[in-house]
Amino acid sequence: MTIKEIEQQIVEEFSIFDNWMDKYQYIIDLGKSMPVIAEEGKKDENLIKGCQSRVWLDCREEDGKLYFSADSDAIITKGIISLLIRVYDGHTPQEIIDSEIDFIDAIGLRQNLSPTRANGLVSMLKQIKLYALAFKEKDEENTASGDSEKYSVEEVQKNVIRALKQVFDPEIPVNVYDLGLIYEVKVGEDHSVFIKMTMTSPTCPMADDVVNDVNNAVSDAPGVKSVQIELTFEPEWDESRMSEEARLELGLM
Amino acid sequence: MEDNRSKILSEVRGMVPALSGKMNGENLVYLDNAATTQKPIQVLDFLCDAMVHSNANVHRSMYELSDKSTTLYEEAREKVRVFINAPGRENIIFTSGTTTSINLVADTFCRCLGPGDEILIEGDSHHSNIVPWQLAAERNGAVVRVIPTDVMLGRGRSGRVAFEMLDQMLSNRVKILALTHISNITGLVNPVGEIIAKAHAKGIPVLVDGAQGIVHEKVDVQAMDCDFYAFSAHKIYGATGVGILYGKTELLEKMPPYMGGGDMVETVTYGKTTYAPLPLKFEAGTPNFIGAASLKPALEFAEYLRDGEVGRALKEEEGRIVSFMTEALASDPDVEVYGTASGTGLKKTPIFTFNIKGVNAGDLAQLLDKMGVAVRSGLMCAEPLINSFGANSALRASFAPYNTLEEAQVFIKCLQRAKNMLL
Repeated sequence: MTIKEIEQQIVEEFSIFDNWMDKYQYIIDLGKSMPVIAEEGKKDENLIKGCQSRVWLDCREEDGKLYFSADSDAIITKGIISLLIRVYDGHTPQEIIDSEIDFIDAIGLRQNLSPTRANGLVSMLKQIKLYALAFKEKDEENTASGDSEKYSVEEVQKNVIRALKQVFDPEIPVNVYDLGLIYEVKVGEDHSVFIKMTMTSPTCPMADDVVNDVNNAVSDAPGVKSVQIELTFEPEWDESRMSEEARLELGLM
Repeated sequence: MEDNRSKILSEVRGMVPALSGKMNGENLVYLDNAATTQKPIQVLDFLCDAMVHSNANVHRSMYELSDKSTTLYEEAREKVRVFINAPGRENIIFTSGTTTSINLVADTFCRCLGPGDEILIEGDSHHSNIVPWQLAAERNGAVVRVIPTDVMLGRGRSGRVAFEMLDQMLSNRVKILALTHISNITGLVNPVGEIIAKAHAKGIPVLVDGAQGIVHEKVDVQAMDCDFYAFSAHKIYGATGVGILYGKTELLEKMPPYMGGGDMVETVTYGKTTYAPLPLKFEAGTPNFIGAASLKPALEFAEYLRDGEVGRALKEEEGRIVSFMTEALASDPDVEVYGTASGTGLKKTPIFTFNIKGVNAGDLAQLLDKMGVAVRSGLMCAEPLINSFGANSALRASFAPYNTLEEAQVFIKCLQRAKNMLL
């Protein structure tokens, strides 16, 4: 079922009750029958801020779908979370991010919660979407690095240069590529990357940091499978190796 | 006699329009009076009339409207003076609430404190009688010490403050003692007169937080001999945003101004400014003059509820409410009440804070709301005291003189229903 269909189902269930005490009794029963969260899920980082009662919300991913578990010291709150979980459980991060749920208003829950609890509800919804966003980003990262075949060698070459332009020399406010520190970028058929580079001076105390930064940036570039860096001082670097933009930037032109 | 009771009750309740209102389709049972009280028609009419016919800034202009406004403001000050039996006009300072009144003293009085000095407060304090002192102590290196409750000492579960500790705690390092007249949690009336006498014997001035005390006790600041007494207008049927600080003249004279601005000055030059005499020295800026003026009809209403035949009838009703509530709550073994008078020798006002084992107070309050019953849940701005009972929230039903025994019965019935739903 889609998120919308589950919402519709809940709205229908609530339409049977003609007064608020019965609706609350139903929410309370939902809260009571909710599976208890594992103790390790009740850690402080899972506590939702902005709720008057204490609410813990945990989330795990299975086959690209998200599953939530939650607990609260207030049973009505727990019942309301169980409704939210029923709506969102088993959906992909993207579906959750795109969803705009309205069952809470449709069953009159929002205006019938005290303002402090209504704020708690907003915080819970926000937390669910934050989880979805975090899992989506994680998935995309996995896809990006695991899916190197979909880029051509030329594209990878461009991606590597783009990444190099994000790494800055610690002493000069210009990126290592425009500074002319990169002597060679070779991308193999298997998307392995070889970089030959230098430092502004052989005694540069930050050399290790710069090489590390280059390694990290290039490894993260889309399509890159592996990175090998060779540090050389032959030939020695001088200002003439800087790009025109870099020289402009430093006021040397 | 029953006829007379119901006649008086319906007359009183008829004067407070909000009491015959509805909440969630049910007859409103308003039991959050320790937070704020509902207003009588006299106050409502006054506010509306004053906005129309005498709205002009006070103490400033030459025209008639401004005179009228100033007169109403000063008449209210006089009404407050008489109500608490203060010696003079200069002893009554209008602030924006009890909180501001206490902050004023904590800030200005405590400026002469230094490292090693102590500020003594009670274990049943409201946050507004804790935090201002902590801020003051932080500024000048003084220490805030707390007279614990019997619960904090592990000596009992009544929630009374262990004033027997006072003799050893009132050392010569203590520079001020901040008391609570009636706790907003336990509803117990502290023996402030006796404690003040003990403190004065050692030369220690005393502030009394009267936010609840002013509603339930007849306050005579000269008989009590407190140095400061702080309370809010809205808890005693007046407008919100107005507070009162009573202070003894010699202390108020010595204290520097709290805030600078208009109305609190005598002459201003860029080199040196001299301050207006009391009480205006502490009333910088435009005060909430209409709200403050509402204290006159508000306190007249409080007197009407307190004195004469009506007063006697309502006192009897309060007695019935306290007995009924005490017994009803004690008869449920799952209930623990925070603040019990029995065995303490203290008087209990109709403020009942408690928890039901296994049930969340917020859940109870939410269900009671649907049944038309307005009560408070949470920490009630007294986190240390609630925590001392081993709880992190509680439910509170607080009654005003206009509440009835029938309302207490409805409350207990609805509470039972809510409990059964939740357990």
